[in-house]
Amino acid sequence: MRTKRLLLALVAFLLLSGIPAWIPATMAAGENKTLVYDEAGLLSPEERTELNELANQYGPDRETDFIIYTTLNPENTDVQKLAEDFYDEHGPGYDKTHGNAAILTLDTKNRELYLAGFYKAKTYLDDARLDKIKARITPYLSDDNYKMAFEEYLKTANRYMGFKPGVNPDNPLFNIWVQLGGALVIGGVVVGLMAYRSGGRVTVTGGTYLNHNSSSLLDQEDRYIRTTVTKTKISNDNNSGGGGGGGTSSGGHSHSGSRGSY
Amino acid sequence: MTVGRIEVSGLPVLEYKCPNCGSGMVFDSATGMLSCPSCGRKDNIEQLTEPVKKQVFEDKEIKEYHCTSCGAVLVTEPETSATTCSFCGSAVVLSDRLSGALAPALVIPFAISKNEAMQAFKKWCRRGLLTPRGFMTADRIKSVTGIYVPFWLYDLNHRVEAHGQATRVRSYVKGEYQYTETQHYEIYRKVQANFVRLPVDASAKMNDGLMDKLEPFPYQELKEFKTPYLAGYLAEKYSYDDEELLPRAQGKVRPYIESYVSSTVTGYTTASLIDYRIDTEVDLADYVLLPVWMVAYDYNRAEYTFAMNGQTGKVVGKPPISKGKVAGWFAGVSAASFLVLKIAAWLMGGGFL
Repeated sequence: MRTKRLLLALVAFLLLSGIPAWIPATMAAGENKTLVYDEAGLLSPEERTELNELANQYGPDRETDFIIYTTLNPENTDVQKLAEDFYDEHGPGYDKTHGNAAILTLDTKNRELYLAGFYKAKTYLDDARLDKIKARITPYLSDDNYKMAFEEYLKTANRYMGFKPGVNPDNPLFNIWVQLGGALVIGGVVVGLMAYRSGGRVTVTGGTYLNHNSSSLLDQEDRYIRTTVTKTKISNDNNSGGGGGGGTSSGGHSHSGSRGSY
Repeated sequence: MTVGRIEVSGLPVLEYKCPNCGSGMVFDSATGMLSCPSCGRKDNIEQLTEPVKKQVFEDKEIKEYHCTSCGAVLVTEPETSATTCSFCGSAVVLSDRLSGALAPALVIPFAISKNEAMQAFKKWCRRGLLTPRGFMTADRIKSVTGIYVPFWLYDLNHRVEAHGQATRVRSYVKGEYQYTETQHYEIYRKVQANFVRLPVDASAKMNDGLMDKLEPFPYQELKEFKTPYLAGYLAEKYSYDDEELLPRAQGKVRPYIESYVSSTVTGYTTASLIDYRIDTEVDLADYVLLPVWMVAYDYNRAEYTFAMNGQTGKVVGKPPISKGKVAGWFAGVSAASFLVLKIAAWLMGGGFL
């Protein structure tokens, strides 16, 4: 009884002392960098703070700055150039200036967007993955639901960077619900089979009673009727979609990219 | 009057008295001989002359049989052809139900004794993965009865003609397109498919599905029928004759025919034979008795029936299923599969959590 209470106290102590130690650690790591540059003024101050916090929260995990940059684009620059110039000028990066960064650039004048990944983000967010992110957020942007679009961008980019480069992050096998469902189906089939077979099985086949000596094929005729042909276009997933692809900024920073309009 | 060592009294009730000590002799599954439990005398059944087939009984329904040992009335059902006297325990054979049209051609004697059957059944119960714990101990076995079940063994010859469609699929890439080329064929097969000794149980009492699962019976153990094989066991006469059971035999053989014909179609991507014309010729239909141990088991106020092949020891019959064990296995298998899927996803480059 006494030892039990002692043990309980110990557990409580560890929990209480562990939590405060853990909270400041995550808070301190962020120190909340500015990662949302809403020059076009699409967000309310509360939304901006919220997104900035989210971006700061994801950064350390992926060692990448997730940046949102909106501009009214007064000089009517190309959206890819806007993104590259932003990177060259501000020099963002989680690890160093001009380091790992993913940038969502929104040109409100031409209603165009550009997603770019630099360094680590270039590897982990290649063109194909950026295309997928673009496809996810474009509907929100078209509805002028910027808060949702940016949040989706941050979440998806963060999630995709958890997968090794080169694999399809939307592979259903990676989905926890598919994994769970598949496991339950396997469990159900196995147990169902066990229950079905518990009463004994038929172990004889036609071969058991077939007289092999006197049974034979007497006659056969196979007549050709016709040939049908179907064709499907081979979709080349690589580098397709919205005229995207990466490039190199004038500052000499190579990046992956995906562009589109909304 | 003595023919061989079998007493024939003119009465339809046969009993096997030991010539040495006068006790009732029974069939012994271990040695395959007629043996005397009192003095240990063993007689080779195959050398005994069989009086029953030659004997002609008056063609009238006998209402009552009397035990030749104690004279008590034998309580039998209309199908029973061998039983034990419920008063004195003597093994008796009702020979009028085993002669004439009811004379079996062949028999497979028991190779498993009652004790062995009991042990084998208990072992089988313990092996059940989903059976409730209380059932696995097998301590509520109500009865274990050795029955010679009547079967017809059919030799069926089939002339089969079948029509169907088949396809051959080829796939190739040309330019920016993936082409799938399907060649369609009409196929025809004419096949002679002969099946020998296809067993169909002829007892109305026995569950057909249960009897089908008992197969295969080792046909090398088939013996010319003699009544002493039945001594000490229950035996039944057939409820349906070979003509009445032919449709069931045909139904049973149909998938065998289809798989045999399908096996002659090769070299196609897909093939399906739909239109079958089957001419069946009954080459032979032998009336045989096959050994089955029937086990009655009381569990949770319900009676469960199991059957065991009296030669191979194969047990069939639906045991009760424990919900707890089903849940346990389901949870266990699901959890293990989930872990495997997780690891597979992780190896493929996905995050673990």
